[in-house]
Amino acid sequence: MCNVRTRITADRAALAVLAVVVLAVAAAPWIAPYAPEAQDLARRLAPPGPEHWLGTDHLGRDLLSRLLDGGRFSMLMAVAATVLTAVLGTAVGVASARRRGWLDEFLTRSNDVLLALPEMVVALFIVAAMGTGFGPLLIALTVTGWTPFARLARTLAYDVSARGFVEAARVVGCPPSFIVFRHILPHLAAPMLGQATLRFGQLLISVGALSYLGLGVQPPQSDWGSMLAAAQPYAERAPMGIIAPGLAIFLVALCVTLIGQHATAAARTKQEAVAHA
Amino acid sequence: MLKFIARRTATLVAAVLLSSFAVFLIPYVTPGDPVRKIIRSRVAGDVVDESVVQSLGQSLGLQDALFVQYLRWLGSFFSGDMGLSYVSRTPVVEQVMPALGVTVSLVTVALGAAVLASLPLGTAAALRQGRRTDRWITAVTQSFIAMPEYWLAPMLVLLFALKLAVLPSAGWNDASSVVLPAATLALRPASYFTAAVRSGMIDALSAEHVFAARARGLGRTRTVLDHVIPNGLLPLATLLAVWFAGLLGGSVIVEVIFAVPGMGRLLYDAVVNSDIPLAQGGVVVVVALAVGITTLADFVHRLLSPKAGAALV
Repeated sequence: MCNVRTRITADRAALAVLAVVVLAVAAAPWIAPYAPEAQDLARRLAPPGPEHWLGTDHLGRDLLSRLLDGGRFSMLMAVAATVLTAVLGTAVGVASARRRGWLDEFLTRSNDVLLALPEMVVALFIVAAMGTGFGPLLIALTVTGWTPFARLARTLAYDVSARGFVEAARVVGCPPSFIVFRHILPHLAAPMLGQATLRFGQLLISVGALSYLGLGVQPPQSDWGSMLAAAQPYAERAPMGIIAPGLAIFLVALCVTLIGQHATAAARTKQEAVAHA
Repeated sequence: MLKFIARRTATLVAAVLLSSFAVFLIPYVTPGDPVRKIIRSRVAGDVVDESVVQSLGQSLGLQDALFVQYLRWLGSFFSGDMGLSYVSRTPVVEQVMPALGVTVSLVTVALGAAVLASLPLGTAAALRQGRRTDRWITAVTQSFIAMPEYWLAPMLVLLFALKLAVLPSAGWNDASSVVLPAATLALRPASYFTAAVRSGMIDALSAEHVFAARARGLGRTRTVLDHVIPNGLLPLATLLAVWFAGLLGGSVIVEVIFAVPGMGRLLYDAVVNSDIPLAQGGVVVVVALAVGITTLADFVHRLLSPKAGAALV
């Protein structure tokens, strides 16, 4: 890539920022200065100060505490959706590439169809039909979310299947499941992980979007998206209410994406090196 | 080529049928009596009398097999009868079409701006590949991918509508009301477009005929204008179509924030108000258009570059 030193510095910075945010959010109940629901009605929409580092919202709740608490839902949801879509997509992609024939055709065409559906509209509908909450939200993000993983897994599994050692394993009588788990999946791990980090950023934004629209997390629980929506009417008096949660989503998504881009590039280089050897 | 067209058309038809069947089922899978919900979308009001419900259901053929009902529904849908909205009590088609027009103009302005921004940025980055200009352009535009629209939009409103008071914060009245929503919507595609222009230009720059042109003594500017840019822009064309299709239903957030009366807003309202006929109409129109545009773009791409097309099948 362009400049190795710049890249490594950027990656380290991204990793450091991410580590700080994840640790802070995970340790929220212990390190948050206030309870997320605690109201200080005398100090509503307070600007950042020594008592409330980021100020307070329209109900006098401490923004920093709410930010730390809200991050749990946003990040857990995005992680769950990433893992689910990655596993589902990989399974579909590998099945396509191994079985070929009508199954491959069917899965690839379904993939095309889902790819053409606007993600947000599908999510809106599922949430509308099934109600809000962790489960429906997860399904809403998964229905369209598995497609990029399936595409990548299918292409990679096709390539790996054509290599000599897979043929050799088949000839000596290894069962198909053994070939998939021992020979195919390990080769897919690095690129799929890269793809997962890239998707995580987008899913984090989508989770926030649904919560922002009031279709994700429901009160009293809050997340970064719903905090942003709640603070918007008071944006002029207390801009920190929208700056902080948005910046949190942006920073986490950006850091993960940066790391993901690096990981994908590294996986590709390694794969090319192996292929040329 | 014929086989390719046949396959893609089959996918298109399948997508439209599948999604239309899914939305047709909404009255049946949501809580409540499906017959009453369907009658409501026909007469624009609640019928209280049970015997009237019975006879209306009979005359609408709601006792028929589901598949027969679906075909009948699909037939009237595509002849322009999408039922009556629960909320406005007016024909859905009269709401969908103006909304579609608004979204198309919003998306066109946004993508136009994204292209105008990404062309010079991508070209500049490609021409100075690996140097400081390239690194800055790439880093900044890539960070746009991580920018949530629902954050950027309130910030732009805060700055341009509240602090500077130069642009309206919401609504859809005159030309100035398109600026903020279009700018918000343009950011993410601009990021992808810049990357596409950059990599397309880098590929085009390393082509042998470019080297030959330079060797013949053609100036750098002329070479770039005549030989690099036309070839380097091909990836952008496909990407543009994909984004156009995606944003038809993907501008929900931006339209809700800026109160733009487009498709995204319509679908959001339909979902929030449980306005089943409006949702059905909106979804089928958006999906049919989106799938149609991407399919058409595939055909064009395949025609323009047979080599790339072979990989698409």
